[in-house]
Amino acid sequence: MSELTTRTHGAVAHHTSLGVDNRKLGVWAFIGSETLFFATLITTYFVFAPVNRARPDFQDPREFLDIELTTVLASILLASSLTMVLALSASRRGDRRSFTTWLLATVGLGLAFIGGQAYEFNHLYHEGLTLSSSLFGTTFFVLTGFHGTHVAIGVIWLLSVFFKVRAYPDSPENVMDVEIAGLYWHFVDLVWVAIFVLVYLI
Amino acid sequence: MAGHSEEHGAHTHPSDRFYWIVAGVLAVVTALEVGLFIVNEQHLIAKWLEVALLLILSTIKGAAVVMFFMHLKGDAGIFKFVFLVPLAFATTLLLSFMVLFSEHVGIAG
Repeated sequence: MSELTTRTHGAVAHHTSLGVDNRKLGVWAFIGSETLFFATLITTYFVFAPVNRARPDFQDPREFLDIELTTVLASILLASSLTMVLALSASRRGDRRSFTTWLLATVGLGLAFIGGQAYEFNHLYHEGLTLSSSLFGTTFFVLTGFHGTHVAIGVIWLLSVFFKVRAYPDSPENVMDVEIAGLYWHFVDLVWVAIFVLVYLI
Repeated sequence: MAGHSEEHGAHTHPSDRFYWIVAGVLAVVTALEVGLFIVNEQHLIAKWLEVALLLILSTIKGAAVVMFFMHLKGDAGIFKFVFLVPLAFATTLLLSFMVLFSEHVGIAG
């Protein structure tokens, strides 16, 4: 695939022969692969659910999962998606103050989610649910642990983008940096939308 | 959306007010999900109906995030292709294994 590199207002734009930014295309392709990755983890959770029920070390998810805490965590991630898209909007406008506010709010909400998940994991551990206590424990912690890891990576990504683009958030190159970091962040939120309903509510 | 837009170069992006409205809808749908779960702990409706309603509500949430926050609605077709094709595979994978193993206790048991 040939690549055309153009320079506009001092910034470099990377266009593919398809007429789209190659970094954005790469992130969308990555998100596509991540969709399959999380689908396999969710599928594994459901495939092993009846096996868990049939085993002597059976642990009932309904006895362990705290819907109140999880609802708060889901709300935190949804709120972070709003602040992320507001940061992108401010970046496009060149509004540095709003951009800083909304992007750091997104980072803060991401850290709050990680803190809440760490609290949940610690609570479950003391209740007797561990990675090796049952098939439910194994599939639950692998699925939600990988998601939490993705949130942590997202926080690091957002912070690195913030320090890179904060001086000129409205240059085309920097707007694209914010946009592709935002795509990843929204995807992490999207995965939690699925986990919240499939693991906690159903 | 025409009344909630601002021009930036050749592209039109939704206004901040529009994003707040989408977030409000997401919050309401989340409240409905949790409310349905709590209310049906009394087994007021059949489990299959609860599951179907929860799946519909979460699909609405996911679609809103993808279309409006990730701006896939109105974006280049190649982005839709590289995301929606794996999503279709993922959904097929999940449903196929659910059908095959939903009551199967022998696997890895």
